Amino acid sequence: MRIRGFFLFRRYTLLIFIILLLLSALVLMSLRAKQRKGIEVSDALLMEVCSPFQKAATFMIDTVQGTFQHYVFLVNLEKENRMLKKKIAELQEKDQQRKEMRLANERLRELLQFREKNSPSMVGAEVIGRDPSSWFKSITIDKGERDGVKKGMAVISPAGVIGQVLKTAPHYAVVLLITDYNSAIDTMVERTRAKAIVEGKGENRCQLKYLLRADEVAVGDIVVTSGLGGNFPKGLMVGEIKQVDKKGHGVFQFAELIPSVDMTRLEEVFIIMEPSLPTQSPEEKVRKGKKTKK
Amino acid sequence: MKRVITPLLIGILFLILQTTWLSSFPIQRVRPDILLIFTLYLACLFPPILGGILALLMGYLMDLFSGNILGYYTFSRPLVFFAAQFFKERFYLEGFPSQFLFAFTFGLLEGVIILMLMGTLQGVPSGGLFSLFFTFLLPQSFSTGVVTPLLFILFQKGSSLLFRQPEEGLKEKA
Repeated sequence: MRIRGFFLFRRYTLLIFIILLLLSALVLMSLRAKQRKGIEVSDALLMEVCSPFQKAATFMIDTVQGTFQHYVFLVNLEKENRMLKKKIAELQEKDQQRKEMRLANERLRELLQFREKNSPSMVGAEVIGRDPSSWFKSITIDKGERDGVKKGMAVISPAGVIGQVLKTAPHYAVVLLITDYNSAIDTMVERTRAKAIVEGKGENRCQLKYLLRADEVAVGDIVVTSGLGGNFPKGLMVGEIKQVDKKGHGVFQFAELIPSVDMTRLEEVFIIMEPSLPTQSPEEKVRKGKKTKK
Repeated sequence: MKRVITPLLIGILFLILQTTWLSSFPIQRVRPDILLIFTLYLACLFPPILGGILALLMGYLMDLFSGNILGYYTFSRPLVFFAAQFFKERFYLEGFPSQFLFAFTFGLLEGVIILMLMGTLQGVPSGGLFSLFFTFLLPQSFSTGVVTPLLFILFQKGSSLLFRQPEEGLKEKA
């Protein structure tokens, strides 16, 4: 009987191995979902091993590309173009800040809070890699826990919001971009102050959800952070509304948003080290609860 | 040991290339998945147990630098590996068309697995995901398929150099 059992086991060894391997993958997924310490430590360790090579490769690619762009093709034009683009981005940012200041002045009670929230301490980081798969949208940066970077911290650029820190290693971190399906941030329409949640739509697009049907929104409206999530300061530009969908019935309307930052051309980013407010919007609470449930 | 460490290091090298060099391409939709091609090559050459573990590790590495929270590739890569192992005898893996079709099919298969996982575990609306099939999954699988024959030749040359088995190639195995 025992011999028969042994032969049966040998016969099905491969099948048992495949099942065990796939089960272990599912266990890993479950551990990730529960954010267990062990898996986070192993992730951080592997990231520490791989990221220096990633950084070196990015440096080499940038150097080669830079050589071609700067010296072979366009000697001065490229440099001038970059400088002008930088200047435009700075001016846009200044213009954005000015608009926000004007609106904040109208509501005198919020003036002081607004200033405090728009001058948080920030750390600059370099983008050293992007998501290996095209399904998900993330970047790897060269700042980690040793630099004070923690999970959930906001990542921005002069043009607007980029995303949030998803995973951290001692010297590196992975940032989830706002265009990713898993991303959700608390925002409001700058003109009408209508609250909504911005969710990623995969490619360089986002969707404005939980926007009340009664709220007035139009194509071209600017969407800024509401500051209610706790991670992002109030008034940072998120993007511009490209399409409004009021079809169907229900309490909410939907809108499509083009992010103000071109996520495909990110090179340097800023991490906001001080969260603005510890409060959380009811929409986000509902959303977070929904996500945890799933 | 060499048969484990070497493919793993090559996998890390491809992952780095995928997250840096390939990401700098202007058209993201036609970015080939070279790590998937490598997994398919492992399916053609490696035994199921060793190859399966390597595929799991490749998936784990993908998830490490990816924005997906749950780690879908740790699950999908071994699945694709075993499916490729099962079907490799049914494909004549010499020549451009068959190798293209092989990679294209498994690129689509993995995409469908990811879409299903996203739909069921994350609750991403199926309407949005369905549009991704045509706008994104097909072009990416196509580009992966186009690059596969070239990379298979390089892998064959590399493996015969590394493992000193010039007679052992895709032709003999498949």
